[in-house]
Amino acid sequence: MRLPNAWVAAGVAAFLGATFGGGIAMLEAASRPWRAGDFVPGSVRPSGPSPAIDAPETQFNFGNVGAGGTGSHEFIIHNTGDAPLELTRGVTSCSCTVADFEETEEGSTSVKLVPPGGSTKLNVKWKGKGGGGPFRQQASVSTNDPRRPQIAFVVEGMVVPTYKALPQSISLPKLSAGTANQATVRVFTFGMEPPTITSLTLDEEKTAQFYSLTSTPIETAELAAETGATGGFQITVDIRPGLPVGPLRQIIKAVFRMPEEITVDIPVHGTVSGDLALVGQAWDSSREMLMLGTVSSRSGSQTNLFLTAKGPHRADVKPVVRNVVPDSLEVVVGEGKPVGSGNVIRIPLSITILPGSAPANHMCSPQAPAGQIVLDTGLPDSPALTIPVCITITP
Amino acid sequence: MNRVVCLPRILAALALLWCCLGRRGTAETPAIVEPTADQAGPSSTAFVLTGLSTPDRGAGVDDSVVRTFRDRNGGLFEGWPKPQAVVVVTGELDGYIEPCGCTGKENQKGGLSRRRNFLRALTAANWPLVTVDLGGQVKRFGRQSEIKFQSIADGLRTMGYAAVGFGPGDLRLPAEELVAAVAPVGDQPTPFVSVNVGLLGLDANITPRFRIVEAGGLRFGIVSVLGDAEAKQLRNDAIEIVPAAQGLEAAAAELKKANCTHQILLSWASPEETKSLAARFPQFDIVATAGGADEPPAELPTLPGGARLVELGHKGMYAVAIAFFADAQKPLRSQRVPLDARWGEAEDMITLLATYQSQLESLGLTGLGLTAVRHPSGRRFAGSVSCADCHQHAFDVWKDTPHATALATLEEQTPRRDGDPECLSCHVVGWAPQRYEPFEGGFAGMKATPHLAHQGCENCHGPAAAHAAVERGDVRASVTERDRLRSELAMSIDTPEGKQKAVNNCLECHDLDNSPQFDFDTYWPQVEHPTPEAEADKAK
Repeated sequence: MRLPNAWVAAGVAAFLGATFGGGIAMLEAASRPWRAGDFVPGSVRPSGPSPAIDAPETQFNFGNVGAGGTGSHEFIIHNTGDAPLELTRGVTSCSCTVADFEETEEGSTSVKLVPPGGSTKLNVKWKGKGGGGPFRQQASVSTNDPRRPQIAFVVEGMVVPTYKALPQSISLPKLSAGTANQATVRVFTFGMEPPTITSLTLDEEKTAQFYSLTSTPIETAELAAETGATGGFQITVDIRPGLPVGPLRQIIKAVFRMPEEITVDIPVHGTVSGDLALVGQAWDSSREMLMLGTVSSRSGSQTNLFLTAKGPHRADVKPVVRNVVPDSLEVVVGEGKPVGSGNVIRIPLSITILPGSAPANHMCSPQAPAGQIVLDTGLPDSPALTIPVCITITP
Repeated sequence: MNRVVCLPRILAALALLWCCLGRRGTAETPAIVEPTADQAGPSSTAFVLTGLSTPDRGAGVDDSVVRTFRDRNGGLFEGWPKPQAVVVVTGELDGYIEPCGCTGKENQKGGLSRRRNFLRALTAANWPLVTVDLGGQVKRFGRQSEIKFQSIADGLRTMGYAAVGFGPGDLRLPAEELVAAVAPVGDQPTPFVSVNVGLLGLDANITPRFRIVEAGGLRFGIVSVLGDAEAKQLRNDAIEIVPAAQGLEAAAAELKKANCTHQILLSWASPEETKSLAARFPQFDIVATAGGADEPPAELPTLPGGARLVELGHKGMYAVAIAFFADAQKPLRSQRVPLDARWGEAEDMITLLATYQSQLESLGLTGLGLTAVRHPSGRRFAGSVSCADCHQHAFDVWKDTPHATALATLEEQTPRRDGDPECLSCHVVGWAPQRYEPFEGGFAGMKATPHLAHQGCENCHGPAAAHAAVERGDVRASVTERDRLRSELAMSIDTPEGKQKAVNNCLECHDLDNSPQFDFDTYWPQVEHPTPEAEADKAK
């Protein structure tokens, strides 16, 4: 008697569970807002009359557009359904893009009602920004077609600039004060006429004496490097040794006609620094200290750094360890190797705190002044390099 | 007997459980990319779609925000089943560590914070994730960019990036700073990779040439390369760069031996150069390129060799997710993900931003290497209050405009932005807005130059110290000289040339980044301040 009751109870429970659970799911789904991804687009099969949007083209390529020029394209939208199609203009991805429907009788260009079998046009206008390069923007439209509640119309193309400077600025990181330097900038133009330079000047008078500027036309064969370029000139900047150590800032002003007058500012920025620099994760360049932190004498630790050398005497840099505080630091200088074109020599430094080192406190405070590593460099102008070290060695 | 009795009860319980799970399966599964409160973790914004979260920055995102941005920027991952693995590609951040703008951050896309929450959402949905970045974290040069690069590198590490390339802006920074920023931290290897860029030389091995990672049973080989055209524009003696093809040749051979299921090429080059590299090295099935349009295409184009080309847009406004499925019919799907306000804010990235801002503030303008440059006119600044002595009407109009409290808007933000030159330049008097540097005699801090706070008269009219001194009688000048100083500061929009000059000046700050809806004719009436005489003349 009890056995069948248990199976019946199981069946009833399963039935109730399915009904109750399913019911809750339906209620919850109906009561919460719809969200993207709830349905696979296209899987909705509405019953009764329904609009159906058909946009044979959703992407248009303007091709080349001049900087500041405009382009427009009309996208056709059909209603192939059997109920009116309501279209609402959404946002565009850039204020440089404007989308309008054909004006309604009420004067609206943002909302459109398309009868079954009817069509309308969405006009997308785009204004070319300066600078040049490819562009892609979109205008979205909301619809009452349940299978496609939103549709995006994309315009794309290429803005052809009036001119293009390559590079746009000259960056000279860690320039050696004692070395002459040279940099070039090529200005390509895209007009009907080749450019004629009228002036080439420097903005910052204080350091102008260290620079000299020359310009030469870019040869026709070289113009091919920049698609669409019709002319151009190259500016060569020669920088004499002796710039003061610190931030370097200058602006080259090139004025040219093609035939309208155009002024191009080419910033020159960088830093003029000494010929030796330390590089590595533990080197704090802002504080100019080697931060080794707290090291247990039981485990010890090891840190790798590089010393870089540039300038006319870079090949002479052969560091030798003269003094170390605390003396438990073991400093090994590796072999110098040229980097890339050879203007910089890289010298590895390995700093080891051996297990069993004596406790020490050099945490760079008044009570615990910094330790140091002193290297004889081999450079005539700065024969010694002192590296402050912040370290605590605990027992 | 008891076992027999228990069986149907267990079945009933299972039936109930099945019903409940079934309900969850239909109602909750599509929310996989939007983390729920329990998935988001303690340092993340809670994303719930039931409207219970707070629509405040960093505190939560509610239904209406999600709906708004879904309607504005499109739905995400609609109808996707769970993938075997998903690769998220980002890049071309261009220094936009966060979106900026006077029109409200919610109207802009991008930023590390939203990116963080997006990645968290994928992880919370149990999608096996591989995250890679093309590079191009910064675009400018100088101490601020160095600090920014370091902050971004820290952020990418926190987000668990598997591979990060270098863009040309990154490689303009001093190699010393780059090495410090990209070096391994503790046991965590550097995420930065490159086949042809070697900080302090390729043989210094500061960064590996490629990386292999596994996710969801798939094995991904990832390389990054700098294109030859970009390399030619660089001048950094402490960095060795070899031709892109040469670097790829060696790495590609090693990758071939590594039995990767997918090979990813992160190419910082123009699309044309990238396509050429992809054709030469057809083993890469995912190829990301720089130099595309402002926003990436909705679908990934297929290159002639079968590789899918990934564009990322500019300024880190989008991420592109590429998912792999064990489905012969549809083995790959992609989603362009706008990093808009629906992702909310991640506390750890906000902390990172706060640290960045605090570093800028502690260094100060001098520490950041900013030296004042001569204004093109050669003149110096007086401050807006000086103008009020004679131009009371104009001053009264100005003081009721947002321009008059421009600096306060930076001070009130969390974290404060009033130590950030990239923000300051449009919120004070006497800076070059697009170069982020002060003019001589321009704002140098609230202690030294409080009279030059906010967006004042002289940013449009020009530096007026000499004019004010002459009018006050502090300096003697001839009538001709006095009139010349007056005329140099006069502005009019009554002629096309005059109006164009005024518009160009406004656009220095009201640019597409900071004021995308700016329209001079709409904005001008809000700040218009003609002299009473001019108004009377117009009335006639």
